[in-house]
Amino acid sequence: MKFHKSGTCSLLLACLVAWTGMTGADALADERLNGFLKRAVDRAQPRTVKIFGASVGRVEGYGTGIMVSDDGMILTGNGVFLNGFNTRVTLHNGRTYPARVVRRDTSLQLALLKIEAATPDYFELKKEPLAQKGDWVIAISNAFKVAERAEPLSVTLGVLSLETRLTSRRREREVIYDGELYLIDCITSNPGAAGGAVVTADGQLVGMIGKLIESRETNTRINYAVPARLLAAFVAGKTSPSTGEPSTQPKKGKPADLGIVLFSLGGRKSPAFVDRVKRGSAAQKAGIRSDDLVVTLSGRTISHAADYQAALAALSAGEKTVIVVKRRTQLKRFEIIADEK
Amino acid sequence: MFHPDPLPASFFTRILLLCCLAVSPCLNRESRAQKSGDQDGGTSVPETGEADLATGILLAPRAFRAAAKRVLKSLVTIDSFGGVGSVQGRIGGIRRQGEGSTTGIIVSPDGYVITSSFNFIQKPPIITLTTSDGKKHVAKPVATDWTRRLTLLKIENAGGLPIAEFLSPDSVEVGQWAISVGIGFGDSNPAISAGIVSAKNRAFGRAIQTDANISPANYGGPLVDIRGRVIGVCVPLNPKSGSLASGVEWYDSGIGFAIPLHDSSIIEKLKTGTDIRPGAMGITTVPAKLDGSGVKISKVLPKTAAEKAGLEKEDLITRLGDYVVQDPTQFRMLVGRFDGGSTTKVTFVRGGKEQTTEITFSVKTAAPAGPSPGSNGLPKGSSPKGKQAPSPGKK
Repeated sequence: MKFHKSGTCSLLLACLVAWTGMTGADALADERLNGFLKRAVDRAQPRTVKIFGASVGRVEGYGTGIMVSDDGMILTGNGVFLNGFNTRVTLHNGRTYPARVVRRDTSLQLALLKIEAATPDYFELKKEPLAQKGDWVIAISNAFKVAERAEPLSVTLGVLSLETRLTSRRREREVIYDGELYLIDCITSNPGAAGGAVVTADGQLVGMIGKLIESRETNTRINYAVPARLLAAFVAGKTSPSTGEPSTQPKKGKPADLGIVLFSLGGRKSPAFVDRVKRGSAAQKAGIRSDDLVVTLSGRTISHAADYQAALAALSAGEKTVIVVKRRTQLKRFEIIADEK
Repeated sequence: MFHPDPLPASFFTRILLLCCLAVSPCLNRESRAQKSGDQDGGTSVPETGEADLATGILLAPRAFRAAAKRVLKSLVTIDSFGGVGSVQGRIGGIRRQGEGSTTGIIVSPDGYVITSSFNFIQKPPIITLTTSDGKKHVAKPVATDWTRRLTLLKIENAGGLPIAEFLSPDSVEVGQWAISVGIGFGDSNPAISAGIVSAKNRAFGRAIQTDANISPANYGGPLVDIRGRVIGVCVPLNPKSGSLASGVEWYDSGIGFAIPLHDSSIIEKLKTGTDIRPGAMGITTVPAKLDGSGVKISKVLPKTAAEKAGLEKEDLITRLGDYVVQDPTQFRMLVGRFDGGSTTKVTFVRGGKEQTTEITFSVKTAAPAGPSPGSNGLPKGSSPKGKQAPSPGKK
């Protein structure tokens, strides 16, 4: 397991403790100083639960969840640990209830659970964003199953790094998380953290810690929250709250061709060099030549031949678009009208 | 998506003051009072300091955003095309380099860009840069600094590019805010991570350490201070390995490194197309006595810096540059501070007489064997052979 930071949180707390500690018994000041995060934590702890389920192979049989209604509805990350017959939810007071899975979403990797208990403390799923880039966020989870029964969950402090959408994969398999997400800089990419709460400095729910995924862009595990807006849509019963990235959706029109034949170098990741341009084709009319390297098509970066094919598939016949190629040391931009395939 | 805050200057100053309050609590109250009296010229810390501390921390996010925004125009998005599909085996904790764009920083108006060498371990034959105005350029690698894990790129026909302001490491304090900025998550809007400066003078004096998240998402991007000035360039760096990819295994661990570039001589040297590599003296040493009073040369290797400088077996080295030599381990660390080709003074005792001579460090050609396969990870155009700084013949 990697080392993960507890960094900023402990720093701030240590600082606050160090400074206030010197002043002696100024209790009021202490409360005001330490209180700026305490309020958020006090609000979030009773609304966050521990979940225990089946452990399958190397997959951990535990997770975290957030309460989203007063009648026992709990959101968590989808996973095989919910597949067993004995899924249990432990509330902040240590009481444990059996839980059943109400619904799952495989595109956002969410699961909705239900326990038969009144849960007066729950998170409101606000549709409008409550935090923006750089804002403090507090992540609360039972990563590594550190807390048992009534023990409070682990709290870490970080900032919201970016709201974005990325193509990702979970572990070895190509499972796409299809939706927007909040990247955060608290380390939440650890076993059992998924389903935890990410809240603002005043304890409002920003989102839910997502399943362990790796970013294809960086090949690293990412730390992120599923935005409350998407959680709300899922809880409301909309099957797939995400709309999908428009540019990756195949168009309704007839399939397109530009008349470009790429070099095939044998590798899966060959750069998109133009081998030849078909006579009379869209590419020839536009001015593309052999040995040009396709750099972007329709605004998408073409790192290798597969990217080109994907960008081409998104075009329809008759559509006008822009292609940028590298010719010797220059980048050249051409407008091109796609042929019918 | 996010919209940057319009920040009035007075408000910005106020935030800075508050944030300064927020980061200085390591000092005890007495020294705080003194310091504020000394440096602020009358702007004393208000009596209600506690309230301001809490407010400062809560306002810090606005300063983080403003800092990231300030450096944004000097950042470029780097795209690579082709290269080895995947480096064999694993690089640190990750299987291979990601497919996404990476970050670079403009260091001269005419188109020089500095970035992390990690971004080219797959040796891409084609590199493009997109400047903050949206223009795409073809870039060529100029040279690589193997000791700082940096690669200098150049774009042609560029002018008037906005350069980043680099801070001197002397003005950086351990404990101050540090914000890492990078475009690696596939969005032209950079991701940020906030932390503090954890240590200075890491990796033989070449790096600043931070607990802000440093990862392939921001290698090549800046670590900035609360005013958006560049503390250093984020790189993967394991000081115990010479491989360009070493240190990736520590991504997002709270142990991250950034290379200060206030000293323009590094960029100037790279501009000449000369790679920078660790320096070597070419001697083996034994402790002089047990009192840490220097090291004794047990062997001088032929045709090395030491031989050219006139050092001989049995010489007792007492000083290297400005540093007092104590024992062989400490001496090795001192030598590590010097780049190949750099010159310094060496003081030694021979036959009871102290002498001082100049030594020009030779270049360690082979990268130290590391566990990582990325040790040969050079971009095209900065071959390890043929472009070394020639060791000057004199001395």
